[in-house]
Amino acid sequence: MAKIIKVGSQNLTPNKIANPFKTSRNSTTNPFKYNNFDGNTLPFELAADVFETKSPNKLKMIASSVTGSMNKMKSLLPESIINFVNRVREGISSAWDYAKNTNVSDIPAIKAFNDVMNTPIHIPALSGLSESMTSIGKGITSNIQSVGKGISSRMEFLNTDVTDIGKAMADRWTSLISSIKPNRISSDMPVAELRQLWLNEIELEGAVA
Amino acid sequence: MNRNVLEIIDALTAHQDDESIRVLEELGTNSPDNEVREYTSRALVRKNVHDSLKIVIINQGKGINDLSPAVAMSTINEILALKDKSEVVRILDDTISMHSDESVKENARSVKSLLALS
Repeated sequence: MAKIIKVGSQNLTPNKIANPFKTSRNSTTNPFKYNNFDGNTLPFELAADVFETKSPNKLKMIASSVTGSMNKMKSLLPESIINFVNRVREGISSAWDYAKNTNVSDIPAIKAFNDVMNTPIHIPALSGLSESMTSIGKGITSNIQSVGKGISSRMEFLNTDVTDIGKAMADRWTSLISSIKPNRISSDMPVAELRQLWLNEIELEGAVA
Repeated sequence: MNRNVLEIIDALTAHQDDESIRVLEELGTNSPDNEVREYTSRALVRKNVHDSLKIVIINQGKGINDLSPAVAMSTINEILALKDKSEVVRILDDTISMHSDESVKENARSVKSLLALS
């Protein structure tokens, strides 16, 4: 009986009786608080891997796919753009050379038109008609020339008119500038002159009133 | 107010000739326009010489004795703003002691009181 009492008194310490929840509460907040790892701690990076989720990172996947697409486009696009630019450049160059080295009369359509207009028609019944066609062509040419001359003369008139307008505006501007009186009222003026100016102002105000 | 008139008054204010004071009195303080009278009175005070100050202090209907309160107050303000008040005090004292018109004396006394307070 005395042994039983002794064992009971050893196991039931006063602390446990006073606060039975103390240990469990401490382990909830920091379970390793009282543990000693004897220096065998894991680096943070490795420890962090333990908490990573196993699901794939969608953001990384999207980024890698976009990067791959851009690389692919980079390898494909420049060649086609350069080809296109070269083609356009060649086209413009050839068009410019063609325009520079070709007479207007050598342009196929105009040449064909001229040939048609100048070719006599050998239909006996229509011999008069061929002559009239030739005369029509000549008439068109002369009419076009007269229209050109008319436009040219109109342009000359317009040019002279603009010149006259410019001269008139310049004259008006010069007269306007010369009509503006400089600000000559200052203490350097004699008192008599200042008095006269004041009297003039009074007269002007009286006239306005 | 006409800008030319304003410039003429400024030119006369800057003028050292005593004739300028006479012109300012003749055309400025006798003007029917309140603004011209006000500007002229201030110009005469700014000259700060005996003849110009006398015009705005001792004359009935001019300067501090003007019938327009705006002109009178503006002139008084200009007097109060003077750096050297010796000449104006002297004229005010003479006016208070010797002027025949009681209203002019009263105005001079008021201005002198204001000068003492300022």
